[in-house]
Amino acid sequence: MTAYLQVDGLDHRFGGLRALQECSFTIEQGRITCLVGPNGAGKTTIFNVITGFLKPDQGSVAFRGRSLDGLRPQSIVHAGIARTFQNLRLFTDLTALDNVLVGISGQFGEEPLGAILRPMHTARAQARRRMEAMQTLEHVGLADRARDLVRNLSYGEQKLLTVARVLATGAELLLLDEPASGLSAGALDAIMSLLRRLQNEGKTLLVVEHNTRVVQQIADDVLFLHQGHLMAQGTPERIISDPALAEIYFGGAL
Amino acid sequence: MDFLFSYIVLAEIYVLLGLSTNLLVGIAGIFSVSQAAVFGVGAYLVAHFMMAADPLSFIPSMLIAAACCVALNILVTLPSLRVSGDYFVVTSFGIQLLATAVFTNWAQGTGGANGLPGIPPPDLFGWPVETTGRYVLLCTLFAGLGCLAFWLIMRAPFGRLVRAIREDETAVAAAGKNVLRAKVSAAALAGAFAGTAGGLYATFLSFIDPSSFDLDASILLLTMVVVGGARTLAGSVIGPFLLLALPQLLTLVDIPTTIAAAARQLIYGLLLIVFMLFRPQGLAGERL
Amino acid sequence: MLALQLLATGLVTGCALGVVAISFSLVYATTKIFHVAHAGIYTMGGYLAWSMVMYGVPFLIALLVAMVACTAAGALIQNQLYARLERRRATHLVVLIASLGALAVIQNIIAAVYTPNILQFPVNWSSRMMAFGPVRLNYTQVLTIVVSLLAYGATMLFAHRTILGKRIRAVASNPMLAGITRLQPQTVYVYVIAIASALVCLPGVLVPLDLGLQPYNGVTPLLTATIAMIAGGVGSITGAFVLSVGIAVVQNLSLLVMPGEWSIGVTFFIFVIFMLFRPTGLFAAR
Repeated sequence: MTAYLQVDGLDHRFGGLRALQECSFTIEQGRITCLVGPNGAGKTTIFNVITGFLKPDQGSVAFRGRSLDGLRPQSIVHAGIARTFQNLRLFTDLTALDNVLVGISGQFGEEPLGAILRPMHTARAQARRRMEAMQTLEHVGLADRARDLVRNLSYGEQKLLTVARVLATGAELLLLDEPASGLSAGALDAIMSLLRRLQNEGKTLLVVEHNTRVVQQIADDVLFLHQGHLMAQGTPERIISDPALAEIYFGGAL
Repeated sequence: MDFLFSYIVLAEIYVLLGLSTNLLVGIAGIFSVSQAAVFGVGAYLVAHFMMAADPLSFIPSMLIAAACCVALNILVTLPSLRVSGDYFVVTSFGIQLLATAVFTNWAQGTGGANGLPGIPPPDLFGWPVETTGRYVLLCTLFAGLGCLAFWLIMRAPFGRLVRAIREDETAVAAAGKNVLRAKVSAAALAGAFAGTAGGLYATFLSFIDPSSFDLDASILLLTMVVVGGARTLAGSVIGPFLLLALPQLLTLVDIPTTIAAAARQLIYGLLLIVFMLFRPQGLAGERL
Repeated sequence: MLALQLLATGLVTGCALGVVAISFSLVYATTKIFHVAHAGIYTMGGYLAWSMVMYGVPFLIALLVAMVACTAAGALIQNQLYARLERRRATHLVVLIASLGALAVIQNIIAAVYTPNILQFPVNWSSRMMAFGPVRLNYTQVLTIVVSLLAYGATMLFAHRTILGKRIRAVASNPMLAGITRLQPQTVYVYVIAIASALVCLPGVLVPLDLGLQPYNGVTPLLTATIAMIAGGVGSITGAFVLSVGIAVVQNLSLLVMPGEWSIGVTFFIFVIFMLFRPTGLFAAR
């Protein structure tokens, strides 16, 4: 049986630094998998490779049995994998609604020729997309901020918006880079309940997370990465209680 | 009256060129100093087809010229978009200088430095456009269609996409959109506008020579977009009308005719610097 | 025989072009600004020297004073234009347009003051001939080769042996890190553009000494030099110089088979070939 997402023997160097070495793991459908490890373990590099922003020196990635090697980022989104960024990368001069709309795929009128030759059709299609985008915003709890420019949103709201933009693409596997970092307690609860809801709706999530409390609460599976290599994989309880991993993670602070 | 009409006709032709340059510079975010070359290719092509031994009429000539300019613009932008933005600066200067060399030195094709006289006036399905008054109507029609097209694409999802691209190309790619394709579409449309403008220009003046399509002309086009403003329809219209009025204003000041051209270009240069420093959004546009 | 003569004049042009290329490369590799206005500095140097020679100033002194003036003009552009734009977090495109504006301003001030007509240096020794076997070069051409090679050597020494040179290379390789440490990139940028402007003044004076001055004659050399820089590999001084000589020689030899008006086509063809097959250049650092 083919794995849902299969990462196989990834190797990548940045100059002299070996960011990934023979990194392999699989992810199961419908689960929340947390990717943990100390800084520089290669978590974001893994994201960049899976989503096509970085070509690995070696190794391959397959999604639902289909190889993603050599695909460009936009093709990987169409294959069903979308990501957020640690530094958000929202379009700050656009409204929250427009940010979500950019993510919706297959819109009529994204080609100039179509927009010029069939203006009415474009307008009608756009009205429908706007409804969809509003629903997505409602889903993450930002419906009342739809018309606001992103730069006027709070940090927590911006984090929710990155999830909304990923949802808009229609992808079923979501790669979230530190969705909970830097949030207040209230915003943290909002994002964690959102992630749970997404799982119940059938999405599969791969989440980079530092906060062990968050990991314990949301993760079904934990992947522990160290120096670009998968050190351990298991339930949160098992990974967190492993003294050897804690030693690596906290650098002997415990 | 004829003088005012000529001004309006030329300004409307430059509105098409302003839209073209805005698509490339404001929307695709490409630094271009070669739009005058594309404009020139359009002008020479239309002149060529209408003056051929077996002449084509106006509309088919325009369509062929526009199609050639679309192909040309895609050809020159595509490789550079894939490599690096700065290399496009070289490509752009290179295309412009090369085009000037061709216009000036290919005597059989372009009449060389002496130019190409005797281009016949256009006819629209048997309706000859011979007076300046009729020409105003024709150019208003074309400029109006150009503006309508620009307005339609900017309010469509394409407009949102290019604004997003201006902010963060990586994030656009992560949202599943093809950045390269959007930019090439803008370049293609820019080619069609520039080619159309070239055809109108050639048939209106009935005489063309390389000096209308040189590097200075490209700088003028860039200045129009910078002064008018990027990515808006208003910006693309205001820029040409203002800057074409400038030479008339200069005739009011007592400047010797020998340095009038230099003085004009000097002002364009100053406008570029001043707007970039103090008002990068131009008079009625969005930030570059 | 003609081929040999063309080869020799190609070397002369190439050496002059090489200095334009290394000076542009210094600026581009360090500041990442595509400093189009550099062509204006090049042109300005020639006209300043010409004016002084017209007033009876000895050539050598005129050259040195012109270099000082170019240095100041370059530093002014960095300080008053690029640095301001940088502080406003202007996009790359905006800086480029401003640079083009500066070029237009310099060129057209010159055109307004001196008229667009061609001017010759009133120096009697410049066209005296020297014979090297079958090849004949005039004094200016020989001087151009000597001065250009010296400028190349001095730039190499400067970049690798002096503290400022090392500082420049450090900023060029990692401006962010250099900003955190005490290398002060913005100050370094002023130095870099100043030095590059002094350098570019050399060919800016020597080439017109042979061929005459025109206000808009700076763009083509700069374009050719940037092509040489890209083909040589951005950041490589030797690459920029060697490729300049190579391109100029090819361009001159092409005169055997096609008229000179098309040489821009030859240059551009070389660029397209490099873009297609080796976009990182021959002497690429990484």
